[in-house]
Amino acid sequence: MSTDHRRDGPTPPAGREMTRRGFFRKGVAAAAGVSAVAAALSPLRHLAPGDIPSVEEFLRKHYKEMTPEEKNAVLARIAAAVEKRFGVRPSLLDPPPLDGVEFVYALNISRCIGCRKCVHACVAENNQSRSPEIQYIRVLKMEKGSIDVETSDHHYAPPVVPDQDSYYMPVQCHQCAKPPCVKVCPVEATWQEPDGVTVIDYDWCIGCRYCEAACPYWARRFNFAEPEIPAGELNPVMGLLSNRPRAKGVMEKCTYCLHRTRRGLMPACVEVCPTGSRKFGNVLDPDSEVSYILQHKRVFVLKQDVGTLPRFFYYFDERGSRYHEPIAPVRSEEPT
Amino acid sequence: MTANHPSHPDSAVASAASRGRFVPLVLLIAAAALWAGPWEFTNPAAPSAPTPAWAIDPTPVRRPKLRPEIDLAGFTYHCSDCHRHFASPPETVRSLTQHRHIELRHGINTRCFNCHHLTNRDALVDDWGREIPFDQPQLVCAKCHGPVYRDWLNGSHGRTNGYWDASAGRRDRRKCIECHDPHVPPFPPMPPAPGPNTLRMGDQSPVDHHGGTPNPLRPPGRGAHAEPHLTPPPPPPAGPPNMEDRQ
Repeated sequence: MSTDHRRDGPTPPAGREMTRRGFFRKGVAAAAGVSAVAAALSPLRHLAPGDIPSVEEFLRKHYKEMTPEEKNAVLARIAAAVEKRFGVRPSLLDPPPLDGVEFVYALNISRCIGCRKCVHACVAENNQSRSPEIQYIRVLKMEKGSIDVETSDHHYAPPVVPDQDSYYMPVQCHQCAKPPCVKVCPVEATWQEPDGVTVIDYDWCIGCRYCEAACPYWARRFNFAEPEIPAGELNPVMGLLSNRPRAKGVMEKCTYCLHRTRRGLMPACVEVCPTGSRKFGNVLDPDSEVSYILQHKRVFVLKQDVGTLPRFFYYFDERGSRYHEPIAPVRSEEPT
Repeated sequence: MTANHPSHPDSAVASAASRGRFVPLVLLIAAAALWAGPWEFTNPAAPSAPTPAWAIDPTPVRRPKLRPEIDLAGFTYHCSDCHRHFASPPETVRSLTQHRHIELRHGINTRCFNCHHLTNRDALVDDWGREIPFDQPQLVCAKCHGPVYRDWLNGSHGRTNGYWDASAGRRDRRKCIECHDPHVPPFPPMPPAPGPNTLRMGDQSPVDHHGGTPNPLRPPGRGAHAEPHLTPPPPPPAGPPNMEDRQ
């Protein structure tokens, strides 16, 4: 085939031959190439003004490498960007980890009624995207007598909760002591803080979602689209590593409400829990609630076999302390 | 290749040439069409639904007064305002003429004076007949609910609001009756807040929209398919059950 076209016309002079067919072929190739490039570049037309980073953003250092002055400059720049976008002047801070503090969470699954108030308090506190929806907490409805998360349901919508045949197990970031999400990050955009909280530098994240795949608890969320937060619902109290508004294409996760807990406050999910199932505190303090729970209650962790050493513990009460529940009569198995 | 048919060389060349002239034109039109973007990206994310205000309200389920008071006809009375004049009715026959709105479903605890003081109605009573002030109701509950009282004292039962760090600010330990009605103690059921509707989960309705292929991870009859999902929970009329003080 490569030599057939020579028969179509007169033989051109050697070196500068350009047959009609060859011209068309090159024209076709050039037009196809141009159109392909144009089609490939067409998403650039949809760029928003904030999509292209500024020089300062582009040359920003990693969070851990920033000097205090550089960090203040970053805080001021982000605060100005938030004010420009939402019309609210945020109090954007970066509270450092406290000395002698390791945060631990405990959740009483025999008291949780599955009302999902923690889910929505978390969304409101941490400025998560409302559309597409991002929620850090999933409340799994589990069958009583099993702990099989594969058959659990987090879309339950009965008129009232709790369902008498179920118990509820909320799952969120477990702040593992050996976090697989940190291990897989190719750019070190996520790390474990000294107080045990795994955080993300949202400006350093490249959005590869390896950490989402590595997490055994599905605790990490990806911003598939520009987060949509109603301006009136923006929480103006922000932390650089926790709840400042995220950008499209970065991961985010529960940070135990760093901007609150590093000032001594409870996380938003603890504050709102109507049953008091959620417990939070400093495990290094022997008098804290979580220390008592770890020492005296029956405690387990989810997916202990994966070896991530979570800082999130589930516990439950003795049966005799649930007076309102009928205790089934014990069958006499002994032959008389 | 077809243009090189040996029987009609000239016509084949001409048709190829005329056809070839249109190829760049067609491609240019295609490029322009792509540039104009006829296939707009449609966001599969569900539009944002407003968060119900009661779902993020951290106030306790109940707001008891922790005082021996009763609101009647717009006035507030001390319990002793009446009870110092009137003797208590015999309790073996519990036919109340007053306090008929109080529903007592507290297990085997069916006697008013198990908790209320027999002579001083402005106080509660302990196991030895001594008075317990109304703002210390946990001491009354502890008479029977020992393990729960132990857990409440140590913080593993009951709500804690405020600061986890006691040196940084105030920490509120919620008392028993801020969650439990002392006359009907089980924690009241409440409507759940709206469930998740995230991108990755997709449509979770029991009706399958994907060619009738059931989700292998969700066997029918269990989990997500066990109940209808797209019916939203009925909105609570006045937020979570926030009962009036009945003591």
